[in-house]
This record gives sequence, C-alpha cells and structure tokens, in this order.
Amino acid sequence: MSFEAISNFVAAFFTLSIFSFLYKDNPFYKFAEAMFVGVTMGYAIPLVYYNTFIPFVYRPIFIEHNFIILIPALMGSLYIFRFSKNLSWLSRYPIVFGMAIIGMGVPLSMHAYVLVQMRIAMMPIDNINTFIIFVGTITILLYFFFSKAHKGVYGKITNIGIWYMMVGFGASFGYTVMARISLLIGRIQFLMGDWLHLMK
Amino acid sequence: MAEQKMNFFDKMQALDRRYIYLVVALAIILPLVIPFNSRTYVTEPSENIYKKIDSFTGRKDRAVLMCFSHDASTMAELFPMEVAILRHCFQRNIQVFTICFIPAAKPLMDYALQTAKEDYTVQSGVDYVNFGYKPWGIFLPIVLGMGDDVAKAVETDDEGRIVSNLEIMKEIKNYNEMNLVIDFAASAAVYIWIEYARARFGANVAAGVTAVMAADNFPYLQTGQLIGMLAGLKGAAEYEKLVDVFATHKEMVNGVETVVPREFSKEVIKDSWIKLSDIKNPVYKTARIGMNAQTVAHIMIIVFIAVGNIGYFVNRKKNKN
Repeated sequence: MSFEAISNFVAAFFTLSIFSFLYKDNPFYKFAEAMFVGVTMGYAIPLVYYNTFIPFVYRPIFIEHNFIILIPALMGSLYIFRFSKNLSWLSRYPIVFGMAIIGMGVPLSMHAYVLVQMRIAMMPIDNINTFIIFVGTITILLYFFFSKAHKGVYGKITNIGIWYMMVGFGASFGYTVMARISLLIGRIQFLMGDWLHLMK
Repeated sequence: MAEQKMNFFDKMQALDRRYIYLVVALAIILPLVIPFNSRTYVTEPSENIYKKIDSFTGRKDRAVLMCFSHDASTMAELFPMEVAILRHCFQRNIQVFTICFIPAAKPLMDYALQTAKEDYTVQSGVDYVNFGYKPWGIFLPIVLGMGDDVAKAVETDDEGRIVSNLEIMKEIKNYNEMNLVIDFAASAAVYIWIEYARARFGANVAAGVTAVMAADNFPYLQTGQLIGMLAGLKGAAEYEKLVDVFATHKEMVNGVETVVPREFSKEVIKDSWIKLSDIKNPVYKTARIGMNAQTVAHIMIIVFIAVGNIGYFVNRKKNKN
C-alpha cells in the first residue's frame, strides 16, 4: 500500500467520523474533533517557534546582541499572566501597546471605509442602477434614524429601506448556502475521487 | 381523543432532518459520479482579475502577490482558484510571489504551488518565490514595508534565502511593480490590504473569497478598491474556464496539438464551451465538476424551501378555519 493510499484512508476515516455527527453525537466524532485540535496545535507551535521566536527574539538578542529587543520581548511575555488570577492585570500592558495600531489605522480606515464609499454614493443619477442605489442608501439611512417614529409617510419610506435590507440579507444567505454546499462538495469529491476512485 | 390524520405538508414539516441530509448527500454524490457539462458563465469581477494578471505577461518589472489567509476548512472553495491563478501565471510567464500569515495556511500554500508546478518547468527565485509563513504580528509592518521595498519587508523567503539576492527581484521594488495583490480568505483579511496597501500606496487589490464573504465585498468592487473578485466555488470555476479558454488554449500546429495562448475576448468567452472529459488533469477542473453538484443541490434546496413555505401557509389556513 502506497503512502498516498494510506494518507487518503486516514483522511477518509476522519472525514466520515466528522460526518457521523449528522446522525448523532458519538465517540468517533469526538475522537476526530480532539485529533484535529491536537494536530493543529502540534503543527502551529514549532512553526511559530521557528518563524517567530528564533528570528525575532533569539537571534537578535543572543546572536546579534541587540539588547533593545529585550524590552518588547519582556513586554510581550507579560501576556502569560492572563493565566494568573492575581497578576492578570500585567497582561494589559502589552495590549495597550497593541492598541496603538488602532490609532494608526483611523485615518486610513476613514478613507477606505467611509470617504471612498461616500464619494461613490454621490455619483450622478444617470442610469437605473445609480437610481436604485440612491433610493436604497436614502431609505436605509432613514430607517436607522430612530429619533422620529416610523409612522405615516415616513414609515412607508423606511419600509422601502427594510425591503432593500431584506434583499441584501437574502443575497448573503444565498451565498452562505452556496458556501456550505461547496465545502460538502469538496469533501465528497475527495471521498469519491481520491479515495474510492469513482469519479471520472 | 382520536388522533388527527396528518396530510402531506404535516408529514414534510415533521420530517426527521436526517432524511434531508441524505437527499442533499445524494444530490451531490450522483452528479459527481455521473458527470455532466453544466455551462459556466464568467462574470465581470473574475474577468477583471484575469485581464489584470494577463497584462503582466512576460514582464520582468511586474509581479503578482498571492496571500493565503485561510486554513483547510475552506480549501474546497479557495484551493481551485489558487491553482488556476498559479497555472495562469506559470503558463504566461508572469512572476508570482506567495505569502501567508497564519500557520495553517502554510501547507496549503506549499500544496497549491506543488500542484500548479507539475506541468511547468518553473524555477523558484527566478519565475516565482515563496516568501513562506510570516507571523501575524508583523502582517502590518510587512504590508506597509512592501510599499517601500518588498525585499526589505520580507527579508527571507521560505528556503531561508535573502530575498533581495534573488533574480526575480531585479526589477521589483514595491507596489508599483508588484502591481497586484490577491488575498485568498474566508475572513476579513482582504480589508487590511484595502485599508493599508490600497489607501496608502494605491496598490491594486483583488479578493478570492469564500461565498459567505462575497456579499460583503461588493461595495468595494463598486468603488474600485477591489479590482476584481472570485466568489467561492463559482468564482473558481470561472477562473478555471478563463485559463482553459485563453491561457492554455490549444490549436493543431503541423498536426500536433500545441498550446497557443490568446488574448482575452468577451466574444470568445461568451461562445466557448469546454467538454470537461477532454481535460485530463482532474485538478484543473475540480471547481467546474463541483459546480455540477452545486447546481443539483441548489435545485433540491429550492424545492425544500418551496415545499416548506407552501406547507406553512396551508397549515396556517387550516388552523384559521
């Protein structure tokens, strides 16, 4: 039996073990779930050690004698105190420094997520698509204006906003169904093709 | 009290969910085992990625960066599009870089490169370079650093070589040359590229996303912040078709079937129809075969939704009476 055949058999066993949950919870499912978590962690720990700890902590400090790295290294190691009830407050210090990233991102995210979107929403209404977008933007914005009761003419306008949102949720749901089915197709393609060789 | 007789809709609504799983499983298994050719229509966001990549053909001062931001759980949707794009690059002599920032993406990135390389004689460091896994903590410094100097930002590749010494980097400095970033994600990772690489440096960004994420990305397509998008298995099937119709187009030359790439054309793609059984390598048609099963499964789901809703209204009317 070749290595590929053995690895396919193992993968098929775990796939079927996970699928068995669809019938009901059982020891095969639990075993496969625990194995997945263990293998993922087992793979990630040495990868992170060799790609993060060695090049960014060990090598600069112990080989290149760049001792300034000790400060962020010690600061980062304070995260470990999350596991201590009495000293968990120490872990907030590296978090505070991490929050600086958010400050740096504010102007760029304002540009990327607000200003550019606003600019494109202010296009001239020269075709049916821009008209639909215009109506949708206005009615949805009005729907989220809660200082006025949604009654009368105003209520009718905000109802149009609700319809727009329903269409949006429907599109998202349709895509979600497609995504979930795609994942199942991927696994069945493996079982039928790579494992059982039933696909042509 | 006498038991009330259940009608068809009562029975359907009380149906054990496991029967529905069984029907969905059959709806997927049968089209895979008994294949047929469903037509793949190519959408504009997929075309735009293809055209952008194809415009780099043969140029040493242009490169594509592929960022793998997903794990094996979404491999079914994203892996076929990654292989299709790598094939496109290798076939058309387009320089390509790969990188990932999560440990679980590393084996998938290596696997995609190995799979796509099989039919091509490409050399690491010359035609492509795998930057490898970089810690998530330095994602932002790398994204920003690439705006100044790509080689300086990533320093070493997956094989431990100094990136600036590689032949592929001779004419590549920053986002001006590495002019397209494609992020493959089942998350919001692509927004980091939009926020920093696009907004700060004007880099062209494209997304290869799972279908779940696709709807969220349309506003960015409309604004041009994303130049294109491959949405789920459908997007992968579209790109597979684009590669087959244009990049690996075959013609008979002196009685021998030869690959003769051709330029993208809307007319050609509209009329083209490829028989899947003519494609020998199953990896090159994974998404399109998957879409056959997807079509049948969607029909089944529409039938379930229709029956469920009709049953709901019939029972509501009955209860009112």
